[in-house]
Amino acid sequence: MSEISNFERENKAFKLLKRRSNFLFFMISLVGLAVLFQVIKLTIIDANIYTTKAEENRIIRVPIYPSRGLIKFSDNELLVENVVSQALLIIPAKTLEIERTLEELKIILDIKEEAIEDIKQRLDSKNLTYESLVIVENLTQEQLSKYIVERSKWPSTSVKAQLMRFNIYGHLFSHVIGYMGPVSNEEMQDSNNFKYPLRYRIGKTGVEKFYEEEMRGSIGYKTIEVDVHGNELRELDRVFPERAKDIYISLDKDLQLLARKELDGRKGAIVALDPNTGLIKALVSSPDYNPNILNKTELGNVNEILNEERGPLFNRAISGNYPPASTIKPFIGLLGLKEKVINWDSTIEDEGFFQIAPEGRKYRGWKEDGHGMVDLNKSIIESSDVFFYKLATQLTIDSISNFLALFGFGSKTGIDLYAETEGTLPNRKWKIGKIGESWFIGDTINLAIGQGYLSCSPLQLVVALSVLATRGKAYKPRVIEKIDNNFTKTQLLYEVELTNENDWQRLEDSLSSVVSAWNGTAFNLTEFGRVKIAGKTGTAQIKSLIDEELTAKEEYEGIRLEEINRDHALFVGYGPIPNPLLSVVVIVENGESGSAIAAPIAQRLIDFYVESKI
Amino acid sequence: MPRKAPLDFQLNTNLDGNKTTSSKIFIDPVLFLSLITILIFGLFVLYSASGQSISMVSRQASYIVFGLILMMFISRLDQALYKSFLVHLFWLGLILLLWVLIFPAKGYSTDRWIDLGFISFQPSETIRLFLPLAVAAYLTRKQTRPYLKDWALVILAILISSFLVYKQPDLGTALIVFISGFIPVFLSGFPLSILLISLVLISAVSPFLWNSLSPYMQGRFLTLINPNTDPLGAGWNIAQSKTAIGSGGLLGKGYLSGTQSQLDFIPESHSDFILSVIGEELGFIGICGLLLLYGIILYRVFSIAFSADTEFSRLSLTSIGFIFLIYILVNVSMVVGVLPVVGLPLPLISQGGTSIIMHLMAFGFVLSMKKRQTW
Repeated sequence: MSEISNFERENKAFKLLKRRSNFLFFMISLVGLAVLFQVIKLTIIDANIYTTKAEENRIIRVPIYPSRGLIKFSDNELLVENVVSQALLIIPAKTLEIERTLEELKIILDIKEEAIEDIKQRLDSKNLTYESLVIVENLTQEQLSKYIVERSKWPSTSVKAQLMRFNIYGHLFSHVIGYMGPVSNEEMQDSNNFKYPLRYRIGKTGVEKFYEEEMRGSIGYKTIEVDVHGNELRELDRVFPERAKDIYISLDKDLQLLARKELDGRKGAIVALDPNTGLIKALVSSPDYNPNILNKTELGNVNEILNEERGPLFNRAISGNYPPASTIKPFIGLLGLKEKVINWDSTIEDEGFFQIAPEGRKYRGWKEDGHGMVDLNKSIIESSDVFFYKLATQLTIDSISNFLALFGFGSKTGIDLYAETEGTLPNRKWKIGKIGESWFIGDTINLAIGQGYLSCSPLQLVVALSVLATRGKAYKPRVIEKIDNNFTKTQLLYEVELTNENDWQRLEDSLSSVVSAWNGTAFNLTEFGRVKIAGKTGTAQIKSLIDEELTAKEEYEGIRLEEINRDHALFVGYGPIPNPLLSVVVIVENGESGSAIAAPIAQRLIDFYVESKI
Repeated sequence: MPRKAPLDFQLNTNLDGNKTTSSKIFIDPVLFLSLITILIFGLFVLYSASGQSISMVSRQASYIVFGLILMMFISRLDQALYKSFLVHLFWLGLILLLWVLIFPAKGYSTDRWIDLGFISFQPSETIRLFLPLAVAAYLTRKQTRPYLKDWALVILAILISSFLVYKQPDLGTALIVFISGFIPVFLSGFPLSILLISLVLISAVSPFLWNSLSPYMQGRFLTLINPNTDPLGAGWNIAQSKTAIGSGGLLGKGYLSGTQSQLDFIPESHSDFILSVIGEELGFIGICGLLLLYGIILYRVFSIAFSADTEFSRLSLTSIGFIFLIYILVNVSMVVGVLPVVGLPLPLISQGGTSIIMHLMAFGFVLSMKKRQTW
């Protein structure tokens, strides 16, 4: 190979190198142009967008939540307080070893298997990886100290202090106070002026729910500068939250305590209120529950409360529908007087049954042999059914229905608690719509003794009774007496006018005689009663007398063997006479006898209340 | 004024009469000063990007000093001396790559480091320099056009090197190693027909290649196509760096005043994403200034390359120039969101000892191969 040819080859290679270099330059320039354009776009064209973004990144607004308002008695004694609890949280996205983390937490912190299973299920069900999930709502001191020692093992977990609700009296006020739970999606959307964060615990029942808005206060904000990890670098601004309001319940602690003790765990309800104001003094629904377990401030089995057959969450006092039974009789009697189909002197012969026509169906009274000659007074004292059967045939369902509506039957009282029932006040239209049958005279007869389609809540009954106690006025019942320093207003709910105002007094005399007369159905109260009260017993039949050929007694023996088929015992009463301070309704489910079971409870409650007021 | 001796006399007198090797780094003052400027600029940026960490900056400065010493040393060497030795350096680099795979250093999440106790370095960075030089040396060892056999052998070496880097696993550097090795092959006249056929074949098997990528790497590609798919993963990096650069605007927010970078919003802000700090704090002007400096350096490298007197030096210097250019381009593209996040440092600026030392060594080779001028 000669020098010349090598020189030529090198020259050729150099030209090739230049050619290929130019090609590469060209290709690279294309990418370079794209990059240059992008830089210009970012820094000049879209600069404003990114400037805003950078600010958003850096400056964030963090809400400050006020601590929830307290619940107190009217004498300022604390009833529900906020306690600090340490919740253990996990952000699944922050770890690849969630199984290991959970397993170690379970062993080291001694967390219940169910809690771990629950977390695992929630992980499976939804894509929640960036959310922080609660493993344990409140760590014990021991768990907390163990966690702090070993926390570096579990970078995805954290402990967050939060305020939780603690009911000092546990079970006692469960159906008034209610419990707290994590906010649901619907509840989040419904609150327009308060943006709930995830997992925020809000009132689910009772006054916790009804006065949620007052007790949660309003959110404050602090504007802070943060780094990428969300660590606060400095605070720029702060708007303090509006202080939450404390609420004061009108209930009398000792009366409530006595009422709960009197029910003694039997299914039933007691409502006691001041007829002159509508302020509730006692409200017990049995069975009840410990709200602290649901509030996660006390250990306990949540499922037991939620799933238990006896329904401890069900507020019988305001949501339960019961036939008013004989307690309706005074009202029907008043209507008879008002419609002038009877007067105080009208009498009939009570032979133990009633027939619309000879050979027709026999409507039996509770007393097989009858009460003999009865007038309105006696038929209230002895609770004659037959008198009211007869009276019913002289009235129309429309007039009965309209008259009972004046006392609040068939409509909610508007108490400051949720889930109130309006009961059932039937009429022709109702029956066709609901049952699909037209109204029969027999229906009216049943209704006149508080059976059949008529039903109401214990609260409705005690409000209706208050109309008798105050001679024509019922006030809207309420459990909250004061919000911060503002007293809640006494609102007139129903006003009933009679053609003869004297009838109020005569009716009260009859109701007093129920307790005081030797033949009264609640005469047994005189043995121990210290305060003069007026009242009416009732025994609500669950199973109606299907076969009229059987006597009431025979039938009773047959079907009442099972406890759930036994009659409900009712008593409504107020005292002292005159100038009543307290109206009481007592319903003991399957208690069988209004006079033996329900009435003594009411007497003791009124005695206790009146004596404590002196 | 006292009379002074001529400059060359001053220089030559204390160098034992060796005129030709006299401080070659000063032979190209433009290149040398540009390098020094960019390195100092880099230290300032690093100070800001590292959250004003003096220790990180002083460590980086010591790497720079070490790199500059190496550069000066190499610049004094005669290319004839090291040309044949470069192939052995390649073997050394290959052994180091195997070493990290077999004996991964403790304390690092990926097997990219060799820990020598006093210093740890990344063999993938060394192979990135030695591979193209060895390839250029090998292809120009004979005074003939390379045979097909030579190319095949060289491409095998390139594939092995990049595969070993890919195994670390470091897809970005593996691609860069492959490109670094392939550039001298391409420039020395690799047949275009074979290149085209290979490209067609590769695009045909690309679906299978895609499936062989790890989800982490697939994710990085997908993130580029739609950054919103993973706003907290790799997409987060791109979104945050775009926000930083964009919010810098034309003039920037001022040195040390970038909220994004100072508040730690930009991930890897001191290494791969350091350009976003420049963009945020010094703005469009700052980026342009940096690119201008790079341009001057590249201009000098390519003019030295095209005026060099041997085939080897022309080929190796052009390759070094292109590799440097591609490095810049890939990093900038990544930071502004034009290419996937591949984890490549910005040359001479990003924190990282091995990278900066290797780049400075490359410039040492550039200076050593500058055509001897008579003066």
